[in-house]
Amino acid sequence: MFRSLKLIPLLLTMAFSVIVSAGPLGIGSVATPEMIAGWDIDIRPDGTGLPDGEGTVAAGEGLYEAKCASCHGLFGEGEGRWPALAGGEGTLDTLHPEKTVGSYWPYASTLWDYIHRAMPYTAPQSLTDAETYSISAYVLYLNDIVDDEFVANRETFARVKMPNEENFYVDNRPDSKNERCFENCADPKAFEIVTTINGLTPTGHFKEDSGVAANHYDGNPSAASESGISKEKNDTKIVLSDKATLGKGVYDTACQACHNPGIAGAPRTGDKTAWVSRIDQGMDVLNGHAINGYQGADGVMPAKGGNMSLSNDDVINAVAFMVELSR
Amino acid sequence: MGRIYEPSLPKLMEAIATEARGMKGLDRRNFLKGGIAAVAGLASVQIIPKASASSNLPPNLPKWQSHLGPGVVSKPYGEPAEFEDLQRRTVPWLTVDAASSISMTPLQDLEGIITPSGVVFERYHGGIPNVNPDQHRLIIHGLVERPLVLTMDDLRRFPSVSEIRFIECPANGGMEWRGAQMEALQFTHGMLACCEWTGVKLSTLLDEVGVKPDGKWILAEGADAAGMSRSIPLEKALDDTIIAWGQNGEALRPEQGYPLRMLNPGWEGNTSVKWLRRLEIGDQPWHHREETSKYTDLMPDGRARRFTWVQEANSVITSPCPEKPLKQSGFVEIRGYAWSGRGKIKAVDISFDGGVNWERTELKGLVLSKALTQFSYRTTWSGQPWLLQSRAIDETGYVQPTLKQLRDERGGWSIYHKNSIHTWNVMENGDVFNVQIS
Ligand code: HEC
Ligand code: HEC
Repeated sequence: MFRSLKLIPLLLTMAFSVIVSAGPLGIGSVATPEMIAGWDIDIRPDGTGLPDGEGTVAAGEGLYEAKCASCHGLFGEGEGRWPALAGGEGTLDTLHPEKTVGSYWPYASTLWDYIHRAMPYTAPQSLTDAETYSISAYVLYLNDIVDDEFVANRETFARVKMPNEENFYVDNRPDSKNERCFENCADPKAFEIVTTINGLTPTGHFKEDSGVAANHYDGNPSAASESGISKEKNDTKIVLSDKATLGKGVYDTACQACHNPGIAGAPRTGDKTAWVSRIDQGMDVLNGHAINGYQGADGVMPAKGGNMSLSNDDVINAVAFMVELSR
Repeated sequence: MGRIYEPSLPKLMEAIATEARGMKGLDRRNFLKGGIAAVAGLASVQIIPKASASSNLPPNLPKWQSHLGPGVVSKPYGEPAEFEDLQRRTVPWLTVDAASSISMTPLQDLEGIITPSGVVFERYHGGIPNVNPDQHRLIIHGLVERPLVLTMDDLRRFPSVSEIRFIECPANGGMEWRGAQMEALQFTHGMLACCEWTGVKLSTLLDEVGVKPDGKWILAEGADAAGMSRSIPLEKALDDTIIAWGQNGEALRPEQGYPLRMLNPGWEGNTSVKWLRRLEIGDQPWHHREETSKYTDLMPDGRARRFTWVQEANSVITSPCPEKPLKQSGFVEIRGYAWSGRGKIKAVDISFDGGVNWERTELKGLVLSKALTQFSYRTTWSGQPWLLQSRAIDETGYVQPTLKQLRDERGGWSIYHKNSIHTWNVMENGDVFNVQIS
């Protein structure tokens, strides 16, 4: 009697789901080891989760070139704007930090885990375990972290030490201590006001002609961005040639976005130091570079500033304008 | 957030060049030269908006009043009025591919504290998966007594909660670390939204599986192409983490993780893993890509902070803003949002002179923990330039820092967690520009 009473509800629930949970609310089914095995793909720094099998740097090279290099570059340098996977050592405390697997990542396990779960970008979770070992080994090799003899498997991979591991520490915010002051909390005479870079914001949604606030200038393009609210710059008068006067309009539409603020490696117009060795190359070289574009040491100057509707003369006039202001 | 700003790359250059094309510069010299003197006492200028002529205006009979309109269920699922222009927007040059990118909430157009689901900012690392809820499962396993697999129906049987909470990408404002860049509120602060979320507390699910004594961390993993994964400490899970299926009165939107997501209130948005398929309980964190390569904060000494989860107190004035300039002199209510990942907003102050002097504002409507909170200040404007700022104080006593204070601590390359006081420069003509004061 006692036995059968207990059995009935059990049999009833069995009819609804495979194996019932024995938790406090009895909701859900038991996750079987097979189900878990299919989805449990994560790897930890201590090597937990790394599967059987192995791969080599040599095998990784071909796989990487076929499946990864189109975006990440043959040497991990990153094609176009796709992420770089190698390089950047020694840059983290500079003004141009480059965070890559080699320069930044604290653990090699993260590489295995991420490549396996998310790469190649367009075909995630398509790599076999052996392929993942080989490609991960190759990316480590591109970063000089392992040599070309390296054989990656559960044991060797978990032992790889990443150069930047020690440079991470747990969040120590709050780090800034502002006070709730109400009067004379700052000195307005010391204010430096920085405005936005013209052309970076898509403003079409609220400004009819898509005009944006500019670091505008009058003979000195950087005056606005450098002058504080109470600091005024004494512009030296520059008399422009006819060519340069014509070039000002072209410059305003096609060149100032990069050359006013001096972003992305562009020499700032009016910055004499940045221009002196460039001007020394002669006008022909400068005009050629501006018309055809080039990859320089500081960045990429797009042909005609990216505006192919400009004539060569337009560009030459704009260069004259820039050079006359920067001499 | 992906790559914020990548110098020296040809595609970026092209994008900047394309966007810059044909843009007219506004001359700002007058303001800059006028300086603080102008702020202090400028002769009043009358600015009056243009009146528009229309036969629908009084004393005429409006055309929509002279005939019947569409009846019930003409739109079984309604949409905003055709005259409204509520839209997510992105900055095309920010990221390399739309499936791994970000769009922003139009904060300038929102009313109240709830963000409509259709315009909540988006952040994907592998696009939006099209998940069939009948075939979706949540597996909970690892250091547990009873590993479980749960269907959506199973999940809805648990006792549920509904909470209004903000969610913010830690890269919100990240484009502005090194200088003012974005001339629009939507782009300076729009990686932010606040919704009512419905689901089951993660602590309830953990009771159901029975966490073993050495279980200290939880790996949350998504069913998207990026297989998004983050390590969450057990304390947070037991505190206020929600496993949510509802958003603003209906099922989650696909963009927000349909049919199931994690929500870690007050923490950086990336930890709130969407399209949640798996929770593994372990004794250590996993240090996956989104908590090492990304979502760590590089400091000027080359070292980096990890596990920077909390979104510290922040605020911004939403009216006026670049998209919503002052159109008329006279009475003006200055409005904005404040929020804190550590709890409730206690107060918000406002400055008209770039932070020299401050006044208290009034908090309006609901003041909820880890939710957008509205503030208001009534004043009159007579065409004088303003350097408008707001400063939030939360219930822990934390005061929103100045940009200089943050930069002094963190330099300019940490990408994430830029919650400094923001400045809008209101011009004599009512236009509003983004500036930084240092
Ligand atoms: C179609 C372009 C493409 C291909 C092909 C591709 N990737 Fe990626 N990869 C990306 C993108 C985009 C990201 C950044 C994704 C994100 O975070 O949103 C990325 C990120 C990465 C990262 C992390 C970079 C970092 O600094 O965080 C690694 C490692 C990586 N890929 C490895 C690989 C490997 C190995 C392959 C070949 C098996 C591969 N990728 C193929 C586009 C690609
Ligand atoms: C998208 C950004 C961008 C735009 C737009 C742009 N430039 Fe440049 N420009 C650069 C960069 C970056 C360099 C520096 C490249 C280097 O030397 O590394 C450069 C360099 C130059 C130089 C120096 C060449 C040399 O040999 O030193 C000239 C001249 C020049 N640009 C003219 C122009 C003109 C004229 C326009 C408009 C028609 C223009 N640029 C628009 C980015 C830009």
